[in-house]
Amino acid sequence: MNYTFQWGEAFIEVPYLLGGAWITLHLSFIGFWSGATIGLFGALGKTYGGPVTVKLINWYVIFFTNTPGLVTAFFIFFGLPEFGILLSPYHTILLNIALNSGAYMTEIMRGGFVSVHKTELEAAETMGFTLLQQLRYVIVPHIAKVLFAPLSNWYIWMILGTAMAAIFGVEELTGRVFNRAAETFRSIELYTIAAGMYVAITILASSILVVIGRWAFRVKVKVF
Amino acid sequence: MHHLEVDGLTATYDGKILVLDGVSIQVGKGEIVSVIGPSGSGKSTLLRVIMGLLKPKAGHVKLDGDEVDYGNKKSVKALRDRFSIVFQQFNLFQNMDALRNVTIAPVKIRKRDAQKVEKEAIELLGKVGLGDKLHSYPDELSGGQQQRVAIARALALRPEILLLDEVTSALDPELVNEVLDAIRILAKDGMTMMIVSHEMGFVREISTEVIMMDEGKVIEVGSAEQIFDNPQTSRCQDFVGKILRH
Repeated sequence: MNYTFQWGEAFIEVPYLLGGAWITLHLSFIGFWSGATIGLFGALGKTYGGPVTVKLINWYVIFFTNTPGLVTAFFIFFGLPEFGILLSPYHTILLNIALNSGAYMTEIMRGGFVSVHKTELEAAETMGFTLLQQLRYVIVPHIAKVLFAPLSNWYIWMILGTAMAAIFGVEELTGRVFNRAAETFRSIELYTIAAGMYVAITILASSILVVIGRWAFRVKVKVF
Repeated sequence: MHHLEVDGLTATYDGKILVLDGVSIQVGKGEIVSVIGPSGSGKSTLLRVIMGLLKPKAGHVKLDGDEVDYGNKKSVKALRDRFSIVFQQFNLFQNMDALRNVTIAPVKIRKRDAQKVEKEAIELLGKVGLGDKLHSYPDELSGGQQQRVAIARALALRPEILLLDEVTSALDPELVNEVLDAIRILAKDGMTMMIVSHEMGFVREISTEVIMMDEGKVIEVGSAEQIFDNPQTSRCQDFVGKILRH
């Protein structure tokens, strides 16, 4: 190997890259909650909606779960301006993440709705619970617990997925590595640092989720 | 006047399959009435219809002479205030520990004083032998323990009549007795109960009256001695003969 590592030059960029990591975090955070909102309505529609609603939601889910996120991002990026809608690269990516993860979360959440034990609700009914009380004391806590682990996994997966934004010039972590690598040619060093930052972010996020999961939902999960 | 009077109760599934066919039963205060019969005879359905989980097609259910109107939410609610049911599959709330399973309905639904309810719940759980499992969740308890929590939960609602729907059928054989013992304690306290069970020895020991059902109909009603030792109908003789042979 003829490559000479020059870490010094790369380490200077750490603060700049950390700024990118921060953008990565809030891109994934906002994207996750937008997707979760879409997923919630999607799952509700699929579980309780009429045949037309179910069909529309199915088309949406099939489209986004069977096309690469990068392709739909380009689709939005080049497609929307044709309709006179101009979005910044950041918002294009955010919209893409929301729509993409909304499709996945529709299916994940539907699983949660379906898994509610009818017999538990029957017991609640004989004990005098109204539908609203069943929802509050039995259904929602059950769904929250069932969905916690798959949604946590999905969030981690999304953090990594935001790297795609770099292609559209969004200055998140990977995007900033693009910038500096082009200027300094210290690609290996910079990507090594970025990889370390991604690992640190996901471990941090996982740890926080594990603590929340154990404390609030009695979900016994581990970081590793 | 009987405490609970069921008269000509008829019910169907999907409007087609007749599962209860003119069932009449009386339960007096402090009595323990057991319902036996082969699978599919409508025993469990009878309890479900009484609790309002399945609407009857015809017939009446009267409580102290007052007829329950199953089409009226208020009337059904009033009935559920006075009855509790324990299910074959326990049906505990998985997201709550044993104590909260017992306290939630009295506190959140009946709006009784939380501290008093909790004290009572701890006593009830102690009574069914689970004083050391107050903060265990259903998935940390054995089937027998879960069923005893379910019994405590039903009792916390202070029912006038307790319905037990095959409460030991889903249990491993060695766990059956701990649940039966809990029911024996209730019997000693004078609890009015309607019991659907396949535990014939237990039914014989505890029942004031035994009802044999088949194909949605009451075949024979009598004392435990009559039903088990001297059944009058051939269908009952046949059934009792089969079950007592092993």
